[in-house]
Amino acid sequence: MSESLQPQPRFESPSHYVRGRHSGNVQSVTDAGLVVTEVNNGCYLNLRGDASNAEFNAAVLSVLGISLPLMPGTFMANDTECLYWLGPNEWLLVSAQPGQKREAELRAVLNGHIAVVDVSGGFTQLNLSGPSLNFVLKKSSVYDFEAWWIQPKNDLRCVQTTFAKASALVIGQSQGTVAIIIRRSFTDYIAQWLLDCAADNGCFISP
Amino acid sequence: MKQKNRLVVFGRTDPNQPINFTFNGKPYQGLLGDTLASALLANGVNVVGRSFKYARPRGIVGHGPEEPNGIIQLGSGSATVPNLKVTQVELYEGLDAKSVNGWPSVNIDVMGLVGAFGRLMPPGFYYKTFMYPKKLWMTYEHFIRKAAGLGKTPTEADPDTYEKLNQHCDVLVVGAGPAGLTAALEAGLTGARVIIADEQSEFGGSLLASTQPIDDQSSTDWIAQTVSAITAMPNVQRLSRSTVFGYYDHNFLTILEKRTDHLGINSPQGARQRLHRVRAKQVVLATGAFERPLVFAHNDIPGVMQASSVSTYVNRYGVAPGEKLVLATTNDNAYQTAIDWYNSGRVVVAVVDTRQATNGPLVSHVKDLGIEVLQGYGVIQAMGSKRVRGALVAPLNENGTKVTGPVEQLKCDLIATSGGWSAAVHLSSHTGAKPIWDDAIVSFRPGISKQQERSVGACNGTFDLAQGLLEGALAGSEAAQLAGFGDGQVKRGMPIVNTLEEQAQQALFLIPHTLPSSRAPSQFVDLQLDVSAAGIELAVTEGFESVEHVKRYTALGFGTDQGKLGNINGMAILANALGQSIAETGTTIFRPSYTPTTFGAIAGRDIGELFDPERYTAMHRWHEQQGAVFEDVGQWKRPWFFPNQQETMHQAVNRECMAVRNSIGILDASTLGKIDIQGPDAAEFITRMYTNSYLTLAPGKCRYGVMLKEDGMIFDDGVCACISDNHYLMFTTTGGAAGVLAWLELWQQTEWPELQVYFTSVTDHWATATITGPNARNVMAKVCDDIDLSADKFGFMDWRDGTVAGLAARVFRISFTGELTYEINVAANYGRYLWERLMAAGAEFDITPYGTEAMHVLRAEKGFIIVGQDTDGSMTPTDMNMDWVIGKKKTFSFVGKRSLERSDCLRDNRKRLVGLKTLVPTAVIPEGAQIVNDPHQPLPMAMQGHVTSSYFSANLDHSIALAVVKGGLNRMGEIVYCPAADGSSIAAEIVNSVFYDPKGERQHV
Repeated sequence: MSESLQPQPRFESPSHYVRGRHSGNVQSVTDAGLVVTEVNNGCYLNLRGDASNAEFNAAVLSVLGISLPLMPGTFMANDTECLYWLGPNEWLLVSAQPGQKREAELRAVLNGHIAVVDVSGGFTQLNLSGPSLNFVLKKSSVYDFEAWWIQPKNDLRCVQTTFAKASALVIGQSQGTVAIIIRRSFTDYIAQWLLDCAADNGCFISP
Repeated sequence: MKQKNRLVVFGRTDPNQPINFTFNGKPYQGLLGDTLASALLANGVNVVGRSFKYARPRGIVGHGPEEPNGIIQLGSGSATVPNLKVTQVELYEGLDAKSVNGWPSVNIDVMGLVGAFGRLMPPGFYYKTFMYPKKLWMTYEHFIRKAAGLGKTPTEADPDTYEKLNQHCDVLVVGAGPAGLTAALEAGLTGARVIIADEQSEFGGSLLASTQPIDDQSSTDWIAQTVSAITAMPNVQRLSRSTVFGYYDHNFLTILEKRTDHLGINSPQGARQRLHRVRAKQVVLATGAFERPLVFAHNDIPGVMQASSVSTYVNRYGVAPGEKLVLATTNDNAYQTAIDWYNSGRVVVAVVDTRQATNGPLVSHVKDLGIEVLQGYGVIQAMGSKRVRGALVAPLNENGTKVTGPVEQLKCDLIATSGGWSAAVHLSSHTGAKPIWDDAIVSFRPGISKQQERSVGACNGTFDLAQGLLEGALAGSEAAQLAGFGDGQVKRGMPIVNTLEEQAQQALFLIPHTLPSSRAPSQFVDLQLDVSAAGIELAVTEGFESVEHVKRYTALGFGTDQGKLGNINGMAILANALGQSIAETGTTIFRPSYTPTTFGAIAGRDIGELFDPERYTAMHRWHEQQGAVFEDVGQWKRPWFFPNQQETMHQAVNRECMAVRNSIGILDASTLGKIDIQGPDAAEFITRMYTNSYLTLAPGKCRYGVMLKEDGMIFDDGVCACISDNHYLMFTTTGGAAGVLAWLELWQQTEWPELQVYFTSVTDHWATATITGPNARNVMAKVCDDIDLSADKFGFMDWRDGTVAGLAARVFRISFTGELTYEINVAANYGRYLWERLMAAGAEFDITPYGTEAMHVLRAEKGFIIVGQDTDGSMTPTDMNMDWVIGKKKTFSFVGKRSLERSDCLRDNRKRLVGLKTLVPTAVIPEGAQIVNDPHQPLPMAMQGHVTSSYFSANLDHSIALAVVKGGLNRMGEIVYCPAADGSSIAAEIVNSVFYDPKGERQHV
């Protein structure tokens, strides 16, 4: 019998080896200055196309139920899909659906010069929250996240920027919570950075 | 322990909180609120250091960052900090400080001998004396360093932590003196995000030492009221003990916040210092001014101080640094010091004023107190050695250029001097604004601003308090408005200040002596570096004219105080010697840092394991568990080799190499750069970037390519696969991935925007396990049943989609070993699972994980190059014997093509890639070794080339090397030599660069 018939390949998320770690004198999520929680999304797809092409926009809307965000630094979301603006002709789709399925659905309706690339293995999402969050963001990135909370706009905000010495897509959620989408190979480094960064009041990575 | 100079009723120090400290090994006591300087003065410590060149005893002169003499080493061991100023160190229990300059001690000093020969050390002394003979420089340097007393760096790692914080604000106010406070208050009232930073322990600036009432209350009460109003605003961030030390382009400023320094070394909790990196929309500079000292003979004797510093010690710290004061001045403002000293209960011997007739309100006040005022007089020389014993005074002419009458001596132990005020234009100058000299205020003013900033108060040349408060308020509201907040109107009423009118000051930068400067006792301009008036004049005599040249020749302003006291006097003396105005002479450029900054703060937390990100593959933990030794490849950690117990690296690598050739090896190739390329013009674009053509590459096929820079030199290499029409996958080197992607984007976006093509990095998405060796197909067959693995259906340089170990996979038949190889790519979250399944499937064939070292040996056996190892940015494909990779018939050019036709690229004797086979089979040539024809020729030898890669090949049982040799392809069979530093050399025969399976039969199966 071929071994390939064995069921259920084992999935190992990028944060597999750092889950449950903590710094400072904290033992749980309740007393930590910073709580880090990995979110396992269904898929990450990189989408390229011409934003000025109405057919392109309509096709995306027809598959995902949300329109392309066209304003820099914003995103669109519904219950299962998020589309993040990465550039004038580039978006990141984070979906609860499997990557192959979404890619096939998009390719079926998109025409012309487009690209859809499954990058599900390349990214992970960490949600950051807790009283140390703003301090941690100031330490980690040159971007002015404070402005998101001071002058709230109706748009959902996100930005690709530096995070420590790596890069991240930082997403504003509610006041006091952000998500970062980072490259898989930097996960251990980012985790180590966050543990160090928030050590004064403790950092806890959810198991 | 008695503090003989401590005043009972003055100051902001707390008499109920004594603090013990040690200075140069001797115990003392000070009070909470003291700086080390005020505590030393309270204890009557006269000598705090020795001067740089002449080793003259020196005492405390100032009370802030301008202090030139009191330079100390704090603490010992790993936490020792060199070169702090006593005026900026807050006193804490157990503080232990030593003078940095004064070897072996400040009071008994062998360098005093040198001091006695001070006249033998003119400016440029070091240039002139220590230049020749060259071989003695090391000796000289040792002597100079020792003598210079630059402090000691710690020998162990710093135990403290430091951190960096990125800040953004609408208005940054630099300085929390009167003008800074009103600016921050007004800006804060608009709701703008404001940061106000001040280097002192508490806000208030000059007002902390002032007796001037504001709004019918004491200045300290006004500070308290204003600070509490600012504190009530959550949009204002207050940073004390925080020095804005640099002002850079685009309103980027850096602040060093000292968080725990004042609590003592090894104090608990959190970062010792924080570096704030601030992006400010608008900046208000309120950095104040420095009092100019008067320059006269022996003005460096301990007991000669700044007039404002004397007032500060009396009023703020409750310390009177002496008994009998002589005040030397050129202005009304300094008369306040005589009043403060009088009020402290000590003796004012006389006020010596260089002006002929003065009768302003302050002058009258002093006269009314019964203090003698000598008008038209100057202090021409201080008397004493380790402490002032008297002042020689003499009448001066109206210009202050000549002594016009008999010299008399006043007995005193303290000479306070004031030559007026110099605006602290440093930060404004950092922005590139050239300071402008203003005769009316005898000071530079900030130049025309190049940033979104304005200067207010004393740093703007506005020395009047009421005017400064108003300027601050106006600037605060204006800055906020420009940042989008408020209406630009001042909200608060202006405080009422009863300003006394001051008469014109005299611009006097050198008090004359009865002797000319060259013969008079030294008249010091820069105390820290022992630059005298005579030295500057001598520099002019020797032909120096530019202020920048004179600065470097004399070392004026080169000390850790950056000439905050001496520079203006020095420039004025220079101007006078050159017979031109100060405006014509100009000033040197001020640069960051304003005050010395620790490396720790600049490094922040980017140290140790966080210094550079470590990137891990999905299989990383498996490698760790197997005891792999890792190698850095870019930021990636790659397994270097997998030693079994007791195995040396050499043994492990030999075993791994043999396993690949004889059965099967497995390599983690996840780190290779992978770029997904899509679009109608993808093939055309790729064909322009690589030297060969991809226009005819069919789906399912791969091709190896070489990428050049415009100069025709190899930049990267790798395989490109055609996934489908308009869709390709490009592999790059591990280290080159980001650079290649940027390179593609650059050409697409700037040169060929008409080509429709998109690039996406998929390096992280795929985990790649490479199985290679004669048994690779057998293992593959066990884990994959939906790809036809037969050689004619899935051949060398083909790729297939399929299912491997139950996972969707892309499998490539490309090889870096020359063996039958499958590169299996799966989504990275399943990478470790795939790896473990392959290990299990390969167990019966003794599948052997191998690292980058074995990979290097195996590819060298095949003569495959590694870009960056066998190439160095000066190698063309032809140099690497890769003419076959250059497309000759491409319709469009490719990047680098034109350069390949340069005459230098076409000449015969370029270095070409060859193999080297050592005559002694076990001798491994060091990589990088130079190649010569005759190892016995005289030096310098004629180099023929160098070794780029060199290994012992277990499979060939022979040492092999790749090398580039001039005209190497025409020299097959010749013997060349690689000489070593010890005189030995290794002889080797030039051979073809492919050592193993030259026809490539093993991979075509």
